[in-house]
Amino acid sequence: MSVLAARSWSPYAAGILIGLLQIPAFLLINTALGASSSFVTVAASLAGLIDPAMLAIPYFKSHVATAKDWWQVALVAGVALGAFLSVRMAGTARPAMSEIWARVMGLRSFPARLVVAFLGGFVLLLGARIANGCTSGHGLSGLSQLAVSSLIAMGAMFASGIALSAFFKRV
Amino acid sequence: MSVLTAVIIGLAMGVLFGLALEKSRVMEPGFIIGQFQMRNFIMIKVMLSAIATGLVVLAVLNALGMVSLSVKAALVGHMVVGGLLLGVGIVLAGACPGTTLAQIGAGYRDAWAILAGGLAGAFTYGYFQKPIDAALNWSSIGLGNWGKMTLVDLLPGGFPALALIFAALIVAGLMALERWRPWREEMERNDPLAKAGGKARAGRSAYATPAE
Repeated sequence: MSVLAARSWSPYAAGILIGLLQIPAFLLINTALGASSSFVTVAASLAGLIDPAMLAIPYFKSHVATAKDWWQVALVAGVALGAFLSVRMAGTARPAMSEIWARVMGLRSFPARLVVAFLGGFVLLLGARIANGCTSGHGLSGLSQLAVSSLIAMGAMFASGIALSAFFKRV
Repeated sequence: MSVLTAVIIGLAMGVLFGLALEKSRVMEPGFIIGQFQMRNFIMIKVMLSAIATGLVVLAVLNALGMVSLSVKAALVGHMVVGGLLLGVGIVLAGACPGTTLAQIGAGYRDAWAILAGGLAGAFTYGYFQKPIDAALNWSSIGLGNWGKMTLVDLLPGGFPALALIFAALIVAGLMALERWRPWREEMERNDPLAKAGGKARAGRSAYATPAE
């Protein structure tokens, strides 16, 4: 199991493995790899626990209906499990937050970082749901199908990401 | 397909996805922001390798008639505004939606706040979908719904041929990029687990480093 115990892999090997995951996605689930609609499935389900009327909202209703919706929730849960197994087998460990936050934006306190992380996560998924896809659904799957929608969304993503990170100190 | 079967398949695929995201460090906030600052090219190497592989896989499966493509409609206003927000969110969060989960699995505790914020963001779009969609429908200036358009609609040749051509172009681009920025050097320079004094036990590295 030396491959799994390795501290790191070539980015090309990792990319090829991710690309090959399109085979089961298309052949078994009849969809492409994606991650962000699972956030809708989980958010809608949680909202439905508090107020069942929430599940009548069309967008929520359409995200909790099919096996495909729960396939993607399982996929992202599997991502967490895979990353956990990866660090366990490599014997590596990470701090509570990355050290780069102190360097790039002077964020040293964990609570302050939580605020920025929550805000970032909010904008991230608001944007991904407006664009109907994220770095996986548009970046990987859409571009693998030469989709014009994904070219526009990824162009916009890199443009604003490059512009905003230019205000940060160098990583 | 039953939900249980779909969930088992999803978990198995996700474990492989998560392994690849962690081992390549593309889920590191420093690697993601480093890519946007054009100082670390691991993220684009992973993405383009995955895209080129996907292009070849889908070219073959499509030519064999085994899959039909699953393309998203080009609602231009949505793609532009959604994409711009996505970029802002990625830089503030230091993660994209999929890598948020990889960060949680790898032990970054702040990623739980990204997840919570992400659930709130996804809820917000669903709850306010009507007014948001109305505001982003720019059909009056020709930037409405262009439909499920792909480059196959704009260029000569069918999907399999075009996909293979673009895959070849990406591979050529990656070979040039690798010559300019070898990945091992980028990994050694940027990997937070490789630095002395970190919590990492570096003795089981996949490859020998000068320090070892």
